[in-house]
Amino acid sequence: MLRTFYRLLKFTFQNFFRNFWLSFVTVTIFVLTLIIVNAMIFMNYVADRALESIEDRVEVAVYFTSDASDTLVKSAQGYLLGFAQVRDVRFVSAESALETFIERHAGDDVILSSLDEVGNNPFGHSLVISAESPENFPFLLEAIETPEYAPFIEEKDFTNYEQVIDNIKTLNDRVRVGGYILAGFFTLVAILIIFNTIRVAIYVHRDEIGIMKLVGANDWFVRGPFLLEAVLYSVLALGIVIGLLTLAFNVLDPWMARYFSGIDVNVGTYFMQNAVPIFGTQLLLASMLSLLTTAVAMRRYLRV
Amino acid sequence: MIHLKGVSKTYQPNIKALQNISLNVKPGEFVSIVGQSGSGKSTLAKMLFAEERPTKGEVVIGEWDISKIKQADVPTLRRQIGVVFQDFKLLPRKTAAENIAFALEVAGEHSARMKEIVGHVLKIVGLEEKANRYPRQLSGGEQQRVSIARSLVHRPKLIIADEPTGNLDAIHAQEIIHLLKKINEFGTTVVLVTHDRDIVNGLKKRVVTLQNGEIASDVARGKYVLS
Ligand SMILES: Nc1ncnc2c1ncn2[C@@H]1O[C@H](COP(=O)(O)OP(=O)(O)OP(=O)(O)O)[C@@H](O)[C@H]1O
Ligand SMILES: [Mg+2]
Repeated sequence: MLRTFYRLLKFTFQNFFRNFWLSFVTVTIFVLTLIIVNAMIFMNYVADRALESIEDRVEVAVYFTSDASDTLVKSAQGYLLGFAQVRDVRFVSAESALETFIERHAGDDVILSSLDEVGNNPFGHSLVISAESPENFPFLLEAIETPEYAPFIEEKDFTNYEQVIDNIKTLNDRVRVGGYILAGFFTLVAILIIFNTIRVAIYVHRDEIGIMKLVGANDWFVRGPFLLEAVLYSVLALGIVIGLLTLAFNVLDPWMARYFSGIDVNVGTYFMQNAVPIFGTQLLLASMLSLLTTAVAMRRYLRV
Repeated sequence: MIHLKGVSKTYQPNIKALQNISLNVKPGEFVSIVGQSGSGKSTLAKMLFAEERPTKGEVVIGEWDISKIKQADVPTLRRQIGVVFQDFKLLPRKTAAENIAFALEVAGEHSARMKEIVGHVLKIVGLEEKANRYPRQLSGGEQQRVSIARSLVHRPKLIIADEPTGNLDAIHAQEIIHLLKKINEFGTTVVLVTHDRDIVNGLKKRVVTLQNGEIASDVARGKYVLS
């Protein structure tokens, strides 16, 4: 059994090297296809992380009128903290709001002097809410409008984060569709190339195949090398792609860390931790694709 | 060994290569099949190693009913039949020994046993000295001997040779026939398809003559009778 497998492997490598350039082109196309697939996995990962970290940072401020008391605002804080959707509610006092304002506009005499004209602190207390998910904000902003608090609420500052997030999602979706089309195109090219490579391999080996059959080789012994060759292409291509990715991550990771400063992206680690599902699936799909193509080519050109 | 009963073969669209052939060959016989070009000799030969299936009739080789043989059983049958052709069918990139070993390799034979068998059959055909030569470094007769050696590796009970001397001059042809006779003397049944009048007349063995796909004569110690 082992002996037979070893011999099949021998014939397979003979096939591979006898048509070296054809094998080379086949593997190259396979590599390109897999690079596109991995680039899409990469894009998805980065986009997800970016969205997550933006969503994490979304906060909404509720400004109370200046006649709202400490106690009232703090009770509103307690009320909000009671909701499961709320992650945190920060109390910002009128005084610290004024300080922040002065700090921010230090050097802007016009604004500071107009503040002097007002005389007393124009700011009220405010609450800064962060939620488990941005989708919770409309509900929370509704919830705070109780008869008790509503009269004292001056303004709710809900920056349109939804829009930003939507924009990112739309862009991501578009890139994804583009990626699918490209990947589909390359897969098609890969199929055609494999088909042709196997067809040529069968043609080149027609005498050998004829003799194999005459001397009583089993059908699968005749077919085996071609099927193994198909698997060999997939394994080789994936090996090359993993090598290239490792190289790319070493270069990319520090650069990306700088680019997405603050966002926790670590593509290399992500790929490494999920190596088995990511590359296992690719190996499986690539092998199945090339095996299927080879089977079709054999049906057409290999009369066993 | 060989039993043909009412065998006909019609190729598409409507070429009647063989018609109603009945023939029995006993184990250990040496039978020559002669006939003009296109009379159906090769078709008959192909029927014997399941390269072609009869359109009608029954073909039995040993215990194999070839008219009903399953595709999966064909390799097993082929290992019990040696076949030799006019064009040798050797692989140009393999040496004589490797060409012979190839037949054992694809059948899953052990390497050690393989070497032993290859050496043995090379000795039978008298080419031990030239085992490591490539086909292009051998004469036609020598190439045909390699091909015969290869057909012997599985110790077949039957050898089918379709014009094995067709590409050879008279001297080399005689060598090949001599070899086939020797193999026949060991007990192997030989079916020889040939055009060559001198060879047939020299053999003084059974001769089956085909004409337009039918058996025109079948003589025990025959001569080449066609004009
Ligand atoms: N695969 C095929 N398809 C269609 N017709 C075929 C096929 N093989 C042989 N024939 C036809 O069948 C007839 C018998 O052919 P066959 O090869 O058996 O003749 P032969 O006696 O071996 O001739 P030769 O002495 O020239 O080798 C011929 O008319 C030939 O054209
Ligand atoms: Mg012929």
